Amino acid sequence: MDVFGSLANGFQTALSLQNIYLCFIGCLWGTMVGVLPGIGPLAGITLLIPATFGLDATGAIIMLAGIYYGAMYGGSTTSILMNVPGESASVVTCIDGYQMTLKGRGGAALFISAWGSFVGGTLSIVGLMLLAPTLADFAMKFGPPEMFSVLLVAFVLLGSLGSGSFFRTMPMVFLGLLIGTIGMDPLTGSMRFTHNVTDLYDGIGLLPVAMGAMGVGEILIATEESLLRVIHKIKLRELLPTRDELRASWGPIFRGSGIGFMIGLMPGSAHVLSSFVSYMAEKRLARRPEEFGHGRIEGVAGPETANNAASGSAMIPFLSLGIPTGPAPAVMMIALLIHGITPGPLFISKHPDVFWGLIASMYLGNVMLIVLNLPFVGIFISLLRIPFRVLFSVILLICLVGTYSVNSSTFELAVLLFFGILGYFIRKMKYDMAPLILAMIIGPTMELSLRQALMRSDGSFSIFWESSITMTLIAASFLLLVWNIYRGIRPTKASWEKALEESK
Amino acid sequence: MTKDRAASLLFLCAGIYGFYFSVQLPMGRWNEPGPGVFPFALSLLLLVSGAAWFIRGKRRVKEEGEGENADRYAFIKNLATPLKIVGLTALLILAFNSVGYLAAASLYIFVLLFWVSRYRVVVSILLALSIGIGSWYFFEKVLAVQLPRGVLFL
Repeated sequence: MDVFGSLANGFQTALSLQNIYLCFIGCLWGTMVGVLPGIGPLAGITLLIPATFGLDATGAIIMLAGIYYGAMYGGSTTSILMNVPGESASVVTCIDGYQMTLKGRGGAALFISAWGSFVGGTLSIVGLMLLAPTLADFAMKFGPPEMFSVLLVAFVLLGSLGSGSFFRTMPMVFLGLLIGTIGMDPLTGSMRFTHNVTDLYDGIGLLPVAMGAMGVGEILIATEESLLRVIHKIKLRELLPTRDELRASWGPIFRGSGIGFMIGLMPGSAHVLSSFVSYMAEKRLARRPEEFGHGRIEGVAGPETANNAASGSAMIPFLSLGIPTGPAPAVMMIALLIHGITPGPLFISKHPDVFWGLIASMYLGNVMLIVLNLPFVGIFISLLRIPFRVLFSVILLICLVGTYSVNSSTFELAVLLFFGILGYFIRKMKYDMAPLILAMIIGPTMELSLRQALMRSDGSFSIFWESSITMTLIAASFLLLVWNIYRGIRPTKASWEKALEESK
Repeated sequence: MTKDRAASLLFLCAGIYGFYFSVQLPMGRWNEPGPGVFPFALSLLLLVSGAAWFIRGKRRVKEEGEGENADRYAFIKNLATPLKIVGLTALLILAFNSVGYLAAASLYIFVLLFWVSRYRVVVSILLALSIGIGSWYFFEKVLAVQLPRGVLFL
């Protein structure tokens, strides 16, 4: 069936009353978690996973994806109006967005931000719709050596594009891979690192790890600083931008869409990186770059478009190859696995209703979000009046019940707490937990592919040189590794790398 | 101790643990790799990473001197609230099945609000009851999650 026929079927699925409702709930919750500092899209998705248990897989993924791209919309609101980034991708929006608010152009910045998010988000869905099935078809020809080679490239890229340096990220990847080996070996049935604890026979659950590391860990970090947050009063002036502002924002919006889409395909904190790269690109292209930082609309339009475009394209490797490129797609993958669906090359052909229903719902969701984020922006701002010293206890409770609800196991609650503590200390040590979680998810497939490939070749590593695909991928991962090592030890850093580090 | 050094100890511990237990697993041969090969290789990589960060961390202690000490005091000072939360959460987990969700969660929220967030007793009780009952209704009735009832049947 052609793309448009499949999309029409997708709209039939997405336009059912239940799925429209779920898409709306996802977008609403996504905007809320985007607005609230300290709760990012990742925590937003993990917190709502338990709510999907009574739903079918299509409804579940529609709602969770809505949270993901909805958070990108919501994150800019507090950045522009309060100089407080709602989530990490909106850090760069603070620079010019808040300056525009101080000049009385906050409404215009919000409008351009929402419009750019809409354009970037929609264009990336078009890309996702066209590219994901092609990539999945191509990946269906993959055997174990090809799969191992793809995952090897993913891991090296993950090391290079994590929020820390390559040498900081790789130990976390190794640790995640090692944790992923806990449980029964899929090939021989031997128990590894289980110590006769029956709860460990199936391995460590991904949900308690993700919720612990990201939910509980984040809360522990946030409560450490202060439980009191100052909320400023905001006056929203006119929302409509001037003709000059509109004209100036078209270029950054389209460039941001391209930059965001490309960066979203790579592993790492794609939406954060894409907004920084877009900002730097706009500054370089500007006639008067010195005006950046003093309220230029291009400094809002580009980054906000880019992070939304990145959130759409980040779904491509996750849906078509089964390789989540960031923590949020990883948690969505966990949710799909809980619903008995394995994302990967066979996902689109086996579950076309889920894939095309999701694509269609993303188009709908983008329209819902632009409505939610413009006329109702004041309502979301009022959310900031909920005291954090009450909110954190509710989030902790949701994490606990969410984890318990999967297997009714208090052992998993202990795992949640353990990874919460680990996540807290890892963050304190300036390391990142996301690579560990990604490695835990992809690790078992990587090990299985490696062992199956070696069994097929009777122990000869030449199997990785036999096909042009594996040869190219192995060579690419080797080159990336060398580049990463060089980048890790060289004394100077690119301007966007410095900016990214400063913001952290 | 620098942050890098603390992290290196974590990697070294994980590496030693993985190494010790993976060598007890069958390694197989190249044409049929056993379940121990992958964890063994990862343990070695963790040991190498840990050792590298340990050495680098030692160098940083010399470079940073007193600044690192100030960091350490701030770290310990900031630890109080997270420790309280972790302790309370551990107690909740222990009591979860026996006490039941409603009673355990309400008590947990009350202690968090009163002890950690420093709300007054009455406010803490009211908020704890609202959050406890509200969350119980949402999870058990709306989402149909089977929550433990415990000895109090709550």
